[in-house]
Amino acid sequence: MNGTAPMETPATPAPAVLEGRELTKSFWMRQARGPLARKARVHAVEAVTVRLEAGKVTALVGESGAGKTTIARMLAKIVKPDAGEVLLDGAPAPKGRPRSYAAKVQMVFQDPFASLNPVHRVRHQLVRPLKIHHVADGDVDQAAEELLRRVALEPAAHFLNKFPYELSGGQRQRVAIARALAVRPRVLLADEPVSMLDVSIRLGVLNLLADLRDREQLAILYVTHDIASARYLADTIVVMYAGQLVEAAPSESLTDHAAHPYTQLLLSAAPDPEREETPRLAGRGAPPSLLAPPSGCRFHPRCPHAMDICQRQVPPSFAVSPDHIAACWLHAGSAERGAGDNGLFRPVANHSINPKHLESIKR
Amino acid sequence: MTIAPASLTEVAPTGGPGAVAFHRTRILHLPRSPKVIAGLVILGLFGVVAVIGRWAAPYSPNATDEKNWVRHVLVDGTGPGTAFPANYYPLPLPPSAAHWLGTTVFAQDALSQVLASTQATLFVGLLAAAIATVLSILFGVTAGYVGGGTDEGLSLVANVFLAIPGLPLLIVLADYVPSAGSSILLVAAIIAVTTWAYSARTLRAQTLSLRNRDFVEAARVSGESRLRIILVEVLPNLVPIVAASFLFTTLSAIGAYVAIAFLGLAGSPTSSPPGLWNWGEMLREGFANNAVRGGWWWWWAPPGIAVAMLGTGLALLNFGIDEFINPRLRAGGLSRKAARKAGISTSTRLGLTPVAHSIRNAPEPASKVDSANAAEPVLEIRGLCVDYGVGDEAVHAVMDCDLVLRRGQVLGLAGESGSGKTTLALSAIRLLRPPGVITAGQVLFHSRPISGDGPTGTIDLLAAGQQQLREVRWSEIAVVLQSALDSLNPVITIGAQFDDLLRVHRPHFSEAERWSRAGELLEMVGMNADRLRSYPHELSGGMRQRAMIAMAIALEPQVIILDEPTTALDVVTQREILEELIGLRDRIGFATLFITHDLSLLVELADEIAVMYAGRLMERAPAASLFHAPRLPYTHGLLHCFPPLHGARVSMEGIPGSPPDLRDLPSGCAFHPRCRWAMQQCREERPRLLPIDGSSREVACWLHRGDAVVPAELARPEPAAKGLVLAEAVKQAGDL
Repeated sequence: MNGTAPMETPATPAPAVLEGRELTKSFWMRQARGPLARKARVHAVEAVTVRLEAGKVTALVGESGAGKTTIARMLAKIVKPDAGEVLLDGAPAPKGRPRSYAAKVQMVFQDPFASLNPVHRVRHQLVRPLKIHHVADGDVDQAAEELLRRVALEPAAHFLNKFPYELSGGQRQRVAIARALAVRPRVLLADEPVSMLDVSIRLGVLNLLADLRDREQLAILYVTHDIASARYLADTIVVMYAGQLVEAAPSESLTDHAAHPYTQLLLSAAPDPEREETPRLAGRGAPPSLLAPPSGCRFHPRCPHAMDICQRQVPPSFAVSPDHIAACWLHAGSAERGAGDNGLFRPVANHSINPKHLESIKR
Repeated sequence: MTIAPASLTEVAPTGGPGAVAFHRTRILHLPRSPKVIAGLVILGLFGVVAVIGRWAAPYSPNATDEKNWVRHVLVDGTGPGTAFPANYYPLPLPPSAAHWLGTTVFAQDALSQVLASTQATLFVGLLAAAIATVLSILFGVTAGYVGGGTDEGLSLVANVFLAIPGLPLLIVLADYVPSAGSSILLVAAIIAVTTWAYSARTLRAQTLSLRNRDFVEAARVSGESRLRIILVEVLPNLVPIVAASFLFTTLSAIGAYVAIAFLGLAGSPTSSPPGLWNWGEMLREGFANNAVRGGWWWWWAPPGIAVAMLGTGLALLNFGIDEFINPRLRAGGLSRKAARKAGISTSTRLGLTPVAHSIRNAPEPASKVDSANAAEPVLEIRGLCVDYGVGDEAVHAVMDCDLVLRRGQVLGLAGESGSGKTTLALSAIRLLRPPGVITAGQVLFHSRPISGDGPTGTIDLLAAGQQQLREVRWSEIAVVLQSALDSLNPVITIGAQFDDLLRVHRPHFSEAERWSRAGELLEMVGMNADRLRSYPHELSGGMRQRAMIAMAIALEPQVIILDEPTTALDVVTQREILEELIGLRDRIGFATLFITHDLSLLVELADEIAVMYAGRLMERAPAASLFHAPRLPYTHGLLHCFPPLHGARVSMEGIPGSPPDLRDLPSGCAFHPRCRWAMQQCREERPRLLPIDGSSREVACWLHRGDAVVPAELARPEPAAKGLVLAEAVKQAGDL
């Protein structure tokens, strides 16, 4: 780590199939009812860059309200970003939501009980995308059965005639994935695909996603609040906090050597029966209101290592190691730290940088 | 306050009542209740009369019965002895064999008129409702789906129509349109124009909630065209609401038609060009000719009754649709008749789970003294069985469960959704609502109040009356549910809710004392006492759950039942709350029954864990033993469903298959279809929960019985006594 300037992206990036670059989105929320009600701006996502590569699963991890789903929806073009752009194969994605885009980028939703239309049979749910995109102009039923087989729903012909309410949660989610696969997409955006499922069947769905990644070289975005499942499935983990990206790294590197204090907090709070001793939470409190987010780094009010600069300036992404970035002033390169004599890096009162923590960063 | 962006994109995340009900049924499946059947019969009769009534009528409605029309009354002040020529007032004939419903003053057969009138009345009603429904779908669904300016514009039009009083507008229109009297099509159109707006608003609201549902979004993502989304994805989901509003509009259209006909604006059979016979016209003629004052009920009552009957039929059918849209309306639980037949007392009031009579007088078995685990039990559940519904359709949600909660202990109850863990806990304190019924078992509460003047001694909760339960609930046994927002009263402040609670249970407290105690309690759960002035919606999810816990400990209960208290919260908040909870447990010494699907969390938290599957307890062991040395294949599988945060990443399999349907359980051990070690015996016989040789832990599995070979995965050595020491320390703390 001897960079002279903060690095924006990891070194030698592989070509991304889908990239959201500097995506920013805010929503307007009515403060009260009535025509004179003031509207307040909710800063949901601030300049977040996400890259999805073929044959890789990228996990987007964060607490509720962190902006994960908004990013997935911006990438699916259901939500229009205020700023930033979506790049498909390196070129700006077409405007609006044309079918050509739908043919390449598909989405799986969180709640399998809500994402399948209750009044239609499984056949309808699968055949529609096949017909819209002229994927199987001949025998659509056969193509639909083939899709069900790909998501391990057998006997496929039997499932085609079922209504969603006749299926279990896991089976529904498989149908939802089959529907997304119908158009032979290159990117699958999976928004919390297992959080509504029973514990014992979650791994089955995660393994299916892993299988699709390996066999069909899909680029998958896995949105989750469960960092352990992200570690299990994903090749890369991106951690978000209050609408900002805080850390991104290969999944093992991120969970084993978390560089950002927020990631460390998340890890310390996650249930972990194998932990030797009772965990000490690395920072308390709750995520901030996005109506008036804290200045600078949005995590600074909770951060045990907060410094002066943290509340003044949004930290850029610093490279902790070649493919590990953290948006945290603690990791400002040595060049910046030299410049820090002007007082920028003096710790805030009552807080000091834990030397042990710095040790762990240097490793 | 934090905002979940996900919920912001969903305009109405909760949806209307209509939006949530469809996952179980097809588009429209009417319940077979007596109400619906009566409604259908009534409507069927009117339908038949409408079709054949004109021809089935004994006379023509216009025909005058000259032969019998002989009864006249001399009008006062005319005839002999007066300056005026005799003026006779016709008198209608009362019901007779020739005229079942008598005649009008014009000697026309009333029955024939009623029968002949049905057709036009029904036709106008249905046609007007059809036009109005089409209008309301066009306006409502378009406004709701397209949104934005279109929505505002269309909604404005609908609101204007709603704001104009319907009947006056109808009268003006019917009077103004020149040929309205002669054309029932025109009449129907005029009625439709004045009645569509209400349904349009309902449909707009429903569409608005459907628009952002995931399946509509999924259709959008798959590139479906807007028109197809509206027609194929959204509209079928609105069918019950369209049907309901169609019936409602039919009813009001018939009312409107009768009303304007009564006013003489819908054309009369005697005018030129002649209109059609309808009930309003009959009433108009009757009233114009003194039918009411003359006491000639057979003339005016039948059309009135017909209108009322038709309205009743439509309303009854609408009830059925309502019940379909909103299943909660369905027979609030158990039918009394069925319950009595099954020997269940339903005399109990709201908030008390019914208990089958057969177990009321069960002898109280002597309390077992378990030498291995000597802490004093506070809540003992023995052989508890809970069904949903009675008779053949009963679903056995909890079967033969034994559970002992000891003072100061955290007992974890783990299981997947539908395994019966919540049912078990809620029925034990009889909070489960009907149709939940306790069919067997015993729940003993060994009360030894920590503070206050609660009851002392053993109470059989299943035999306890309302009063006894009231003394125990909350003050001695408190419950925290998953959604604190549903448990807190949204319209009063947190402080006022504490105040209510303390005023009832600590009557000797002054108002200031109550307030300061409430503040103290909030601080105990890591909240600022200022929050007493907040309303529940002003607090974040974690804060609400904390307030709920503070309320649960307010009366220093002996037992707290926590049902997935942190499932809806973020991990950091979850851990903070659990830390606080354990701290409070150490301080106050209550026992905790912790229900969750997250076994990995329980391992860190609980002293002892019981695992449920398909309504039965399958394994019970100290937490550390269960984690390090599971004996049950299901527990073993469940533990391997949580990917670790450390070490090499290895592929994990989870458990194949999915949890069973309680209505159709597998034979033998319910887990055998998913078990990789299943033997022939597992398919045939159900294993009982029994202790494993030489330990206090219990398992229900054939692999640990007889001479079966125990797989290595299920024969790991018991861990060092660390966990047990912890449990021991806790017990001592509880005993103090």
